[in-house]
Amino acid sequence: MRLPTMAGSVREDAPAALVVFLVALPLCLGIALASGAPLFSGVISGIVGGIVIGILSGSQLMVSGPAAGLTAIVVSAIGTLGSYPAFLMAVVLSGGVQIVLGALRAGVISYYFPSSVIRGMLAAIGLILILKQLPHAVGWDHDFEGDESFVQPDGDTTFTAIDHALHAIEPGALLIAAVSLALLTVWDKTVLKRLKLLPGPLVAVLAGVGINAALQQSGSNWTLLAEHLVQLPVASSAGEFFSFLSLPDFSASLRADTWRVAVTLGVVASLETLLSLEATDRMDTHKRVSPPNRELFAQGVGNALSGLIGGLPMTGVIVRSAANIDAGGKTKLAAILHGVLLLVAVVTIPALLNSIPLASLAAVLLYTGFKLAHPRIFRAMWGQGWKQSLPFAATIVAILLTDLLVGITLGLAMAFAFILLDEVRFECFTVTSPPGAVLKRVQLQEQVSFLNKASLAKLLASLEPGDRLEINGSSCRVIHRDVLEQMADFQRQALERGIDLRLVGIDLPTPPLGH
Amino acid sequence: MEYIRRLFAQNRDIVADICKHDPEFFAKRANKQEPHFLFIGCADSRVPIETLTGVAPGEMFVHRNIANQVRSVDLNLLSVLQYAVEVLDVEHVIVCGHYGCGGVKAAMGDQSYGLVDHWLAGIRDTCARHEMELARLGDDKRRFERMVDLNVLRQVHNLTRTPIVQSAWKRGRRPMLHGIVYDIHDGLLKELVMQVDGNDRARELLTTQRDSVGG
Repeated sequence: MRLPTMAGSVREDAPAALVVFLVALPLCLGIALASGAPLFSGVISGIVGGIVIGILSGSQLMVSGPAAGLTAIVVSAIGTLGSYPAFLMAVVLSGGVQIVLGALRAGVISYYFPSSVIRGMLAAIGLILILKQLPHAVGWDHDFEGDESFVQPDGDTTFTAIDHALHAIEPGALLIAAVSLALLTVWDKTVLKRLKLLPGPLVAVLAGVGINAALQQSGSNWTLLAEHLVQLPVASSAGEFFSFLSLPDFSASLRADTWRVAVTLGVVASLETLLSLEATDRMDTHKRVSPPNRELFAQGVGNALSGLIGGLPMTGVIVRSAANIDAGGKTKLAAILHGVLLLVAVVTIPALLNSIPLASLAAVLLYTGFKLAHPRIFRAMWGQGWKQSLPFAATIVAILLTDLLVGITLGLAMAFAFILLDEVRFECFTVTSPPGAVLKRVQLQEQVSFLNKASLAKLLASLEPGDRLEINGSSCRVIHRDVLEQMADFQRQALERGIDLRLVGIDLPTPPLGH
Repeated sequence: MEYIRRLFAQNRDIVADICKHDPEFFAKRANKQEPHFLFIGCADSRVPIETLTGVAPGEMFVHRNIANQVRSVDLNLLSVLQYAVEVLDVEHVIVCGHYGCGGVKAAMGDQSYGLVDHWLAGIRDTCARHEMELARLGDDKRRFERMVDLNVLRQVHNLTRTPIVQSAWKRGRRPMLHGIVYDIHDGLLKELVMQVDGNDRARELLTTQRDSVGG
């Protein structure tokens, strides 16, 4: 399979960009709303995330923009710093923090995200999409678009919101969502899939707009009102948008608080970006590998720029990236174009955008969610044994019941505990003598680490008076000093206990005085 | 038949005698052996090494062939050596010759004995290599005994060249190799070369063979 080029993939990337743009628009607005920031700050962040990060990033498929995972930090930071311009200063500085992290090669930690946790995160985001978009699909638009936390700002939890929604179904929304979902399925499962210029999600949104227009024409009371549609402030759109390109309060950089927020934002945004990067790479059918340190640099520049012109902080985001891949996006052109569309469309055609029903977009996200949390994924993970499936399941449950970062942290903790356990129980030697040999001979592996102490201790503890053991370390490259001391200690003990211990090719350290 | 019967009868007597002192004697040894010695000796019926040294069952691993040969192509000996060194972890490997050895005597003469001539080819080589030294010895008896000694030293040297002994020495100074000879006239064991436990000692072995004349 040849890797796609930007020039060769315009036919796929342009429609995908349109879909990502449609999905991103309500998310940008919703996250700005939830952050307690001016509405357009989310759009600015989306534009910078699309164009600037799109150009600088080494990832072909990841989309960046305002992230639900940061809203909690943003809300409290604006409160602590006292003003939005002061907060913008922190955003600029957080970009600097990310650039420094990139220069320090901190991105390598992304190589250590266990597969089970990344898959768990993807499945959890899929489930979250399904659970959170279900109310939007039936016309219950109380929570902000893009919320990923269990406890919502409107006081509901993920589950009570669904309960409320099911008691207040808007028939128009349900109709539009159902038709959109049907179209998405048909498009995905039939030959229509090959219409590269007309991807399913675009058809679904167009159908939603059409149905609502028809309802309105016929004067039906099923017609969806403004609260169930995309809500871009129209009257002063262009003017308000450009007037909002505001500068940060540079004097805030002299305050320690600002720096504290900057470092928090920089670290959390980097972590979320690296997780998204890893997850996006995993969804890539071409299995391209994105350089993590370059990504941190790109994100840093993006955040610094976004902060400078009044935008929210951003990260790589999974929902938009997944939508991009679903819609057939092949190269970074799709991400860049989605940024351009945000810039152009928001200024020029706000009224048209405001006719898009949230229920259509909910259908698109439900479909994306279903793909992320497909039963096949759960079956596959279950088949990999409990050491994989347990962190996977823990990550999902924790993310669903808390939020992305807390859930991921719990999943990582469990996965690392298992990895450590494996490492500790891993026998750092091979027995080279036949069973029942009078002299048991073991060959130490090339590298004997601190974690191998337990397996060696177990071997030594199994010896009884009269036993003979030869430990051959002649093919070792590294033996951890603690392990050497462990052997030296045992050698003295062995003499007293009548155990014949022979060390071959192992230089024992002289013990430090007094111990 | 009566000779065979005698073996069974004597066996019963001996076992009964042992069990009188230690009823668990055989049970204790049934599941494991941890011998200290590997003995490589001559098949000659007059060299019953366990009886002569008083070792108990379980103490000595034994390999015997005509004229106590160590040949690098002898799968039988190499198997015994490998098992003794690497599995049983024996501390000492002893090559033991004996005066009056028929094999050595045959190799020194021109008489043909059939298949066994092939087996003894190595001793003929040793004989040829030391022709001058042997010629200087006055009488046949001293020449014969010297050849028995030289044969033992040669076999110890052969042992040091086996990969089994070489790789064991890489891991530590064991097993120790010893060359001894048994004098069937007085029943006593005599040391020829003791405690060869590394390549430095193995090299001395060749010097010993060349220089020391008639013990």
